[in-house]
Amino acid sequence: MRQPKIIVVGGGLAGLMATIRIAEAGVSVDLFSIVPVKRSHSVCAQGGINAAKNQKGEGDTTWKHFDDTIYGGDFLANQPLVRRMCEAAPGIIDLLDRMGVMFNRTPEGLLDYRRFGGTMYHRTAFAGATTGQQLLYALDEQVRRHESEDRVKKYEGQTFLSAVIDGGGVCRGICAMDLRSMEVKTYPADAVIFCTGGIGAIFGRSTNSVVCTGSAQSALFQQGVDYANGEFIQVHPTAIPGEDKLRLMSESARGEGGRVWVPKNPADTRPARSIPEAERFYFLEDWYPKYGNLVPRDIATRAIHRIVYQERLGIAGQAAVYLDVTHISREVLDRKLEGILEIYEKFLGVDPREEPMKVFPAMHYTMGGMWVNSEDQATNVPGIFAAGECEYQYHGANRLGANSLVSCIFGGGLAGPAAVKYARSLEKGAESTSTGVYENERKRQEEKNQALISPDGTENPMTIWRELGDVMTEHVTVTRINKDLQTADVKIRELLERYGRINLSDRTKWSNQTLNFARELGNMLVLARVVTLGALERNESRGAHYKPDFPERDDANWLKTTRAKWRNGEIRFGYEPVDISQIPPRARRYDAAK
Amino acid sequence: MPDAKEVIVRVKRQVSPKGTPYWEEFALPWRPAMNVIICLRDIAENPVTREGQRTTPISYDSNCLEEVCGSCAMLINGKARMACSALVDKLDQPIRLEPFSKFPVVRDLAVDRQFMFESLKRVKSWIPIDGTYDLGEGPRMAPETQEKAYPLSRCISCGSCLEVCPQVNDNNKFIGAAIISQVRLFNMHPTGAMHAKERIAALMEPGGIQDCANAQNCVKACPKDIPLTESIAEMNRQAWKQALVGWLVG
Amino acid sequence: MSRTATRSETDYLLRKLHSFTGVIPVGAFLAEHFWSNSYALVSRAQYDAKSQELQTIPFRVAVEWLFIFLPMLYHGGYGIYIWLRGKSNISAYPWVGNWLYTTQRYTGLIAFAYIGWHLYTERWLTHGKSTYTDVEDLLQNPYALAFMFIGVLASSFHLGVGIWNFLCKWGLAATVKAQRAAGALGATVGFAFSVIGVLIVLSFWLNWHPFDFYLK
Ligand SMILES: Cc1cc2nc3c(=O)[nH]c(=O)nc-3n(C[C@H](O)[C@H](O)[C@H](O)COP(=O)(O)OP(=O)(O)OC[C@H]3O[C@@H](n4cnc5c(N)ncnc54)[C@H](O)[C@@H]3O)c2cc1C
Ligand code: HEM
Ligand code: SF4
Ligand code: FES
Repeated sequence: MRQPKIIVVGGGLAGLMATIRIAEAGVSVDLFSIVPVKRSHSVCAQGGINAAKNQKGEGDTTWKHFDDTIYGGDFLANQPLVRRMCEAAPGIIDLLDRMGVMFNRTPEGLLDYRRFGGTMYHRTAFAGATTGQQLLYALDEQVRRHESEDRVKKYEGQTFLSAVIDGGGVCRGICAMDLRSMEVKTYPADAVIFCTGGIGAIFGRSTNSVVCTGSAQSALFQQGVDYANGEFIQVHPTAIPGEDKLRLMSESARGEGGRVWVPKNPADTRPARSIPEAERFYFLEDWYPKYGNLVPRDIATRAIHRIVYQERLGIAGQAAVYLDVTHISREVLDRKLEGILEIYEKFLGVDPREEPMKVFPAMHYTMGGMWVNSEDQATNVPGIFAAGECEYQYHGANRLGANSLVSCIFGGGLAGPAAVKYARSLEKGAESTSTGVYENERKRQEEKNQALISPDGTENPMTIWRELGDVMTEHVTVTRINKDLQTADVKIRELLERYGRINLSDRTKWSNQTLNFARELGNMLVLARVVTLGALERNESRGAHYKPDFPERDDANWLKTTRAKWRNGEIRFGYEPVDISQIPPRARRYDAAK
Repeated sequence: MPDAKEVIVRVKRQVSPKGTPYWEEFALPWRPAMNVIICLRDIAENPVTREGQRTTPISYDSNCLEEVCGSCAMLINGKARMACSALVDKLDQPIRLEPFSKFPVVRDLAVDRQFMFESLKRVKSWIPIDGTYDLGEGPRMAPETQEKAYPLSRCISCGSCLEVCPQVNDNNKFIGAAIISQVRLFNMHPTGAMHAKERIAALMEPGGIQDCANAQNCVKACPKDIPLTESIAEMNRQAWKQALVGWLVG
Repeated sequence: MSRTATRSETDYLLRKLHSFTGVIPVGAFLAEHFWSNSYALVSRAQYDAKSQELQTIPFRVAVEWLFIFLPMLYHGGYGIYIWLRGKSNISAYPWVGNWLYTTQRYTGLIAFAYIGWHLYTERWLTHGKSTYTDVEDLLQNPYALAFMFIGVLASSFHLGVGIWNFLCKWGLAATVKAQRAAGALGATVGFAFSVIGVLIVLSFWLNWHPFDFYLK
């Protein structure tokens, strides 16, 4: 029998899981990643991973996990696969445990579980405050083992540029660029799985890692892979603003009594501690007297945005509010919040036990992503599969905390064998694809590089990126108003036009990070439009997508998956019904038990 | 004393692995809470040296920007540090940035740390599970064991411990503290312990644990505060016991 | 497989042997040597008697070579080889452990040179029959005296640090606490040896016998 060849692009949790599954099937895998896979963004996840193991005798079930996930996602997710994921989750935890993840333990030596947002149950397994890191390492180790036994070949330091698609519209491999030699090459494969993560960089700054640009997704979109629910992105209410990154400041700070406020007078430049109580505006407590600082994520986020962008009450005119724990005793802080307070101290050099923290909502997670079918992670282009944060399947309109890690591993685990099955079913594999197909793609990509590197432009890619981030963050994150979305799109188109006149400050041929960034930027601009226009189209409020002009969920018109398509260089939107065969939609309310 | 509103950064540059290093100096506008990554981004947006010379942006590695991916290690004012957590206000100026010296330079501040990943392979740094199919729960583990193991599992492969180790250099390919500590981690796990011997044997190959000379720089440099000297001592004990037993009873 | 296995083991074993010889027998011999020489603190005669006892043990030459010269040569020779493969960096990282690492190398070398010279003057030139007077005469030369002090201090320091190293490097002191204790032990040994060594040299030089009251 012909041995198929499979490529996995991306070595986060999803990509590594897919790789392991393929290697286990005895099929050889080429694993591509920009960063060494051990440095993928999945390391950033802190909180934990969900599975209804009912280890605390609370009567938790996988069905309840399923229901919480669908409800939390405001009924936008197709239900069958979500259900399968929730049913598989306990097994995933067992597997990770067997792989040696150092999960926290109970005195009996069993895994410990904590409670997370959006559920009544202790359902979240965790390894200290670095669960994502621990899970990623476990999978990374398994892949390294397969690598040492020659079933996996890693191509780290390579960036995916495009898929190689033959005349029949079937994917036959990829075109990638070596980030050191800058060499552009094609790699044949019978099937390719994409696990390229989130798109945080489109918003300039986010809680995501540097390589989360969505460039691969966008390149594929422009080659015919549909992009679903692009308008759904999650904004976390409290992150530490930073010029380089917005670092997550966990909800637990408020859980322990932290209070959110701004000075009543935005021109007040006094140090926070010397502003008297009467001149502070505790807006969450004022607007939501019942829940106060502990309103759910999206409400807190919207409130902070309102304070900053509508009321213009941000601290000293900046996009920031105070998250204050200084009134809590040091002893309590050190015992319960030390981990997160240390992050603040480390990165800002300010002790949050003495000074109120300055926080602001931050782009955090991409619910939307490449369209995949609801059986096996296949996209609409034969031979292309997707798993992890880069696809849209599991979280609907809003992701629950600690559900992403499980969806990445589940999706990757599904995509691997599916790709093998597909590749084995092919009558003709990549080896019988004409070399011309590869050569054409390589040339096309090479020419793009040449165009970027030619010295006739004036525009700096970093500047375009910053402007993109600013406009996306201001208009396309939390509160969406059609007029503003239109403004944003005009701006993005202007940036696209300027992008055509880009000037690279580095034209060398070795390890040229500027060139690579410019390529990513081009793709980010296109994807930014998918997000913006998708939001513009959807005239309702659902999950993380909030339009004050259309404040209600509108199931009659919008219980639909957005499916963006690329047709002749234009973005077109189609809509398809959501599979709600298992749980009928019901109203999602924050102010009462569901 | 430089202007308070300026940050002076000196960067040791090198265009390629074989290139000759040279220095460039930049003056950047100071902002609150600046870190070294922000400095490098400023330079990328406006790559002009202090003398007004146009130049290229600086190559460097980064990803998470919160000290958990291990990408951005470099020498900052002569010391092994993570650039993302190195705050400008806490550094003496001019800030000197150099690539790590114990790894091949790729370009400017980016180095190739493949040696560490190869070493992880060498010592079989994994739990050899039978397969990913459902085999039920993992072995039980005392919370106490987990509390000991967890800190070890936080190693981000940044390479700082190798960079500061006098025993790691061109004449001596010492495997380094991080890898030894990983072996300890895997040998601690109930399943991993079943294969402890192979890992220990790998640690006794040339460049292995014997090359540690107890300067104890690693533990001081580790950004994750991993108890590296304890790990090395523990593995040393496991190693000589294995050597002795192997010699005595085969 | 087996060939590489032997090769790999070899490096490990040689290195461990170096470490081991540092304590036993070289370190142990140093202790013994300081002990027997401290008879000078009692009286010339006591010293000569002790020397003679040692100089007249059965199989003397074999014992000397097997337990003293060869291990010392090995420890010294291999020590230099180890030194050459390390690359000190105290200017960048001036931490205590790192200082000890570097001084361990210099004191080892000084000790090596010193022991070589010491053997030459006291073992070779005297045909193995060195007496109190021989040593006393030698120390009237100020250079010899200075070298004697330096050599004694270097050896003591090297042994002290060595004990700390040894305990850590064999995993006998594995926790931070235990290593701190090992450090204290090493420091105590180093200090005690330095003091005793210096007293012995002073005794020869000044013909000073603080314990001669035993004999009165
Ligand atoms: C701060 C933070 C905390 C979080 N906490 C939690 C939590 O507690 N629980 C939870 O469930 N989720 C959490 N999440 C979400 C979760 O971490 C991510 O959704 C998940 O890790 C994504 O994994 P992935 O495999 O899809 O992609 P990633 O881990 O992002 O990996 C992407 C991979 O693709 C590669 N890649 C990207 N583009 C290219 C290209 N063009 N060419 C080649 N390779 C490419 C990258 O190198 C990388 O290897 C958190 C997220 C953040 C930001
Ligand atoms: C007075 C005689 C000597 C004594 C008592 C002595 C003792 C010791 C001891 C106990 C150790 C620690 C073992 C270990 O590192 O695990 C040691 C280490 C060492 N010795 Fe010596 N030694 C002596 C002479 C020498 C000489 C002559 C040299 C040659 C230069 C030397 C070089 C070294 C080196 C380099 C180390 C460190 C090895 C390492 O760091 O791995 N020693 N010695
Ligand atoms: S042990 Fe510490 S210093 Fe060494 S690589 Fe790991 S994190 Fe970096
Ligand atoms: S960028 Fe990840 S550690 Fe600094």
